[in-house]
Amino acid sequence: MIKINNLCKTYSTGAFTVPALKGITLEIASGEFVAITGASGSGKSTMMNLLGLLDRPSKGSYLLDGIDVSHLDDNDYARLRNRKIGFVFQAFNLLPRLTALKNVELSMLYAGTKHEERRKRALEVLTLLGLEDRLHHFPNELSGGQNQRVAIARALINNPAIILADEPTGALDSQTGLEIMSIFQELNRQGTTIVLVTHELNIARHSRRILRMADGLIINDEEIARPLDAHNEIQALREKGGRA
Amino acid sequence: MNIGELILVAIESIKSNKLRSFLTTLGIVIGIAAVIAVVGIGQGGRAMLMQEMEKFGTNMFGIWVNYRDGESFRLDDLQINDITVIKENVPQVKYLAPASYGQMQLRGSKGHKSVQVIGTTADYAQVRNLETVWGRFIRDDDAAVGRRVIVLDERTALKLFGPGNPVGKKVMLMSNSAVVVGVIKSDSSMLGFNSQQIAYLPWSFLSRLNGWEVIHELQGSASSKEEVEAAMNLSKKILERRHHAPNHYYAYSLEQEMESANKVTGIMTLIIGCIAGISLLVGGIGVMNIMLVSVTERTREIGIRMALGARRKDILVQFIIESIVLCLLGGFIGIILGYGGALLVARLAKWPPLVSGWTVLLAVGFSVAVGLFFGIYPANKASKMDPIEALRRD
Repeated sequence: MIKINNLCKTYSTGAFTVPALKGITLEIASGEFVAITGASGSGKSTMMNLLGLLDRPSKGSYLLDGIDVSHLDDNDYARLRNRKIGFVFQAFNLLPRLTALKNVELSMLYAGTKHEERRKRALEVLTLLGLEDRLHHFPNELSGGQNQRVAIARALINNPAIILADEPTGALDSQTGLEIMSIFQELNRQGTTIVLVTHELNIARHSRRILRMADGLIINDEEIARPLDAHNEIQALREKGGRA
Repeated sequence: MNIGELILVAIESIKSNKLRSFLTTLGIVIGIAAVIAVVGIGQGGRAMLMQEMEKFGTNMFGIWVNYRDGESFRLDDLQINDITVIKENVPQVKYLAPASYGQMQLRGSKGHKSVQVIGTTADYAQVRNLETVWGRFIRDDDAAVGRRVIVLDERTALKLFGPGNPVGKKVMLMSNSAVVVGVIKSDSSMLGFNSQQIAYLPWSFLSRLNGWEVIHELQGSASSKEEVEAAMNLSKKILERRHHAPNHYYAYSLEQEMESANKVTGIMTLIIGCIAGISLLVGGIGVMNIMLVSVTERTREIGIRMALGARRKDILVQFIIESIVLCLLGGFIGIILGYGGALLVARLAKWPPLVSGWTVLLAVGFSVAVGLFFGIYPANKASKMDPIEALRRD
């Protein structure tokens, strides 16, 4: 699914050049659930931008779903982002003036999907995420958890090869965060490849593989034999009587 | 993403920010309204002017004496015999009448009034397309027999005799009396040619009253529009030959007058149109201004769209279309307002409002062009954004 070889990224600001990634080699197979963790400045955001085709590496190769992206132009990048990658952001990044339904349709708009088809699929995915009665609400009329679910629906809509989630629980309270993680776990069980970027270890432990980054390098690559189960955690929280 | 979708996106974005969209497009609204109103009023006015002038018949021409510096006025520069000679020798001249002007105090049974009097002959009615309301105009035998008759215009008749047919009644003028034989329709023209009150006398009668014979001007009409030029020039030549005075006479035709009037109104419309065009330009700059603000404000939206797969071209086209739709919207409102303005002025001035199809088409085209031209820069700026930077922005 993802094959990275000696990937480097240097930022140059005037006279200074700052290396952000210093040669990363990595493979992520289809169906994996990978968490990338690390302190701020460790290079995980740069990693995320490169994986998401929002930025170009300074050196090294990147194969996404069998496609070598090194020689592609901006338009190809846009097309690949549209077809192969679903973004979920910390700040949801929904368009405030569009309803939930229209927000979900947006990715399909750039894919050139016909109107009826768009409406149908957006409805399907939103229903899947339990938002069937929130279709015509605007982002400011929805809770944080609901907004993030709309964002996940939007990320899923074009059947991407991979979901890139950048601190998806960062703006949510812990229980809502767990609800979002339980959605990711369910999606992964159904075969969706997920790459999660987070600095919270508790969140990272829901994945099945943790990549720890520091100083632009992966310093630890660890399989998680028994990931945390968000669904069970929510149950436990409820039994403790924290919230109904 | 096809154009239809992009237009929908643009409309949605315009709708979601109604007040700002309205203020943005206000410059275009005013500019287009001004252009439509000015051109509409100008064309209406011109049509009215032409219509007024055509009332006299486009075959009309006139000849007067061309006095140069140092030359003194002579009574015999134009003589009644000249008319006979011209009519006999120039077949292109259909009617030719003398005009001798003066101001006189007229007294009727109900009142008195100082009016312009014109001493002339029967042909004058044909040349000027005069319409009789009651009775008749001056006839050739009036002069021959020496009848003391007078023809009034409606307004003068009303002033002197009150409402009703005054034919047969007596008018006192300069301690003489004359019998009213006809009343002609007052000219409702706004051009001022005949707007004052007028009475017509046989030329010979006026000469007798004055004690001298004078013709200030000859007015004639050619047998056809094409022969106005020939009628004018040949008549002038005969006069020059008979009076041994080359270049002593000046001839003009209504055709010429219309042409120059046309030119003047055309230039006026063009000048005011240009000023209105400048206001459109200013409106366009306003649109660009707000579009630039809008691009900065929507940086995050641009980033999101790019992350979701919008190509730079998609962003570029989205903002250009937004700008064009905005200007078109302003254009349509402007056309309606401008047409309303032209209609209002036309009603007040009592002339037909003329907003031609091509004016509207031009206005629409101009709106699109302004939107396109002033949308390119902001749209280009939007499309050049770095998606990472854009996503990071609040």
